[in-house]
Amino acid sequence: MAPLTGQTLLIGWLLLPYAAAFLAALLPPLARWLALVCCLATGAVAVAIQAGVLPASLSLLGPYGVELQPDGLAAPFLLLDALVCGAVVLDGWRRTLPGPFLLLLMVLHGGLASAFVAVDLVSLYVTLEVVGIAAFLLILASRSERTLWLSLRYLLIGNTVMTLYLVGAAVVYLTQGSFRLEAVAGAGAAALALLLVGLLTKAGLFLSGLWLPRTHAEAPAEVSALLSGVVVAAGVVPLLRLSSVVPALAAVLPLIGVASAGLGLLFALAEADAKRLLAWSTLSQMGLVVLAPAAGGLYALGHGLAKAALFLVARRFPGRDLAGWAGRPLAAGVWVPLWIGSLSIVGVPPLLGFFAKSGLDRALPGPMGLLLSLLTVGTAAVYARLWGAPLLAEAPASPAAAMTPPEPAWSPGVLLLLLALVLLGATEATRTWSPALLPAAAKAALVLAAGVGLHRLLQPLRRRPWFRLPDLEGFPDLVGGIGVVGAGLLVWIR
Amino acid sequence: MDAFRLLELLILVAVLVGFVGLLLSRNLFLKVLAMDVMGSAVVALFVLVAARSGLQSPILTAPLAPGAVAAPVPMADPIPQAVILTAIVIGLSIQALLLVVITRLARIDPSLDLASFDAGRLDRGGRR
Repeated sequence: MAPLTGQTLLIGWLLLPYAAAFLAALLPPLARWLALVCCLATGAVAVAIQAGVLPASLSLLGPYGVELQPDGLAAPFLLLDALVCGAVVLDGWRRTLPGPFLLLLMVLHGGLASAFVAVDLVSLYVTLEVVGIAAFLLILASRSERTLWLSLRYLLIGNTVMTLYLVGAAVVYLTQGSFRLEAVAGAGAAALALLLVGLLTKAGLFLSGLWLPRTHAEAPAEVSALLSGVVVAAGVVPLLRLSSVVPALAAVLPLIGVASAGLGLLFALAEADAKRLLAWSTLSQMGLVVLAPAAGGLYALGHGLAKAALFLVARRFPGRDLAGWAGRPLAAGVWVPLWIGSLSIVGVPPLLGFFAKSGLDRALPGPMGLLLSLLTVGTAAVYARLWGAPLLAEAPASPAAAMTPPEPAWSPGVLLLLLALVLLGATEATRTWSPALLPAAAKAALVLAAGVGLHRLLQPLRRRPWFRLPDLEGFPDLVGGIGVVGAGLLVWIR
Repeated sequence: MDAFRLLELLILVAVLVGFVGLLLSRNLFLKVLAMDVMGSAVVALFVLVAARSGLQSPILTAPLAPGAVAAPVPMADPIPQAVILTAIVIGLSIQALLLVVITRLARIDPSLDLASFDAGRLDRGGRR
């Protein structure tokens, strides 16, 4: 028998979700436990990578084979994958989930884990398509007419951009004779632009990410949590990897990130629907993730955990309309996660979001840091709209509640995510503790106050709308946005 | 212009035609078909890339008689062929999934006109 090396462990871990999904199809009662085991395994691998006990790269089947790199860049994303998928499993523990939900969740989990560690163009293509198909089927699982069209749109757009990505991969192979990510640097601007169109669209960035808000807002709550929490990160990780080996991309990506952050913020501030506000905020936050590859992982982790918690409690919102938001009290199981999640995204101290944001701040050069603060003020103004709702004093004893089995007041999945936000924040605090964090904390408080002020300023404007943002979410707009981004990159990249 | 460049150009035109079709056609079925045109063009591109070094399939034949020397035949590159085989399978399954959804959408609007599904302007904020 072969000795148990790090390599065999890694391969076993990558295969585990697919084997578990197969087993879950045969033995449905085991599905929840199997899904949980997959999430635990991924979490353990993420911790092992941080501890440095696993090989940092492995190459399977020779020089043209599969290249995997479970390195420090992948670790936070793997942890995010484990926590968000685990939270969704726990959230649905007491409910009957639609048909193959858990099976698809395991496939999605496995696809994401592979996408985070793959470093050759072909493996990335395959894993991104697996993620895309699994997400498509998950959106479809609720079987409503509305999601039918949304899922079709999602897969159509996703496959189209991946086709363009393949053209780029073919050009890379033609000129460099290899599918490695490093080879992209010498393959010319056209190949890079085509690859970028695929990855930017998958990551939900700027004009090519315009598919994101409606898809994330209309999908069922637990699917939205998965999509906004981790699925967009599948496109971000290759982008971060590419930008560290391709100098031309390292110059372009921060600008796309800032543009995406601004666009998402503008639409989130003008939005009238709570779930769509969260979705637009995802588009904006993904822009911040790609600003600096060194700090992107932690930022994506902080944002993904908080956003997944927010989307999971969105299922229990008394209504989605933001106009009457302040008049509808929220139960404690919704109100507390809403505050903790949004405060973390805004970057308020002891939570993980604060350390992610100050890490990003340190990684950025001077003027960009100021821009980040301005964008954070906008983010605070966006979330201040959700803070208007008061806390429900006590649960009303309605007779209807006795008919259906009562849902627990606190979802265990949401609790897991909040706990992760607080505990990971505490870990970061002990790891990176320095007196320089005190001014950062003061700055965060200032930014928060400015955000609330901006929210107060904007509130009267919303009652008397004096201009409307264009609706950019029709299908022709999405395809056009992809075309514009592709053409722009072709012209721009040198 | 040599044959390789010409074929490459034609394939890229096909990709572009597929993309324009996806943008302009109003019928959902035609949109999916346009996506398939793009996919087929990419398959052709990979086959072309593989054929750069030769046309013979790189497959081992029966062992030669001792002493005989095989004529050096230019072989095709097996790597792009192997890659595109995976992509064809993925493309096929996505095509099948999209067509299943389209048959279900056809029950809502048999003409499959984009405007009857993409009515975001009417119900902003999303009904459920």
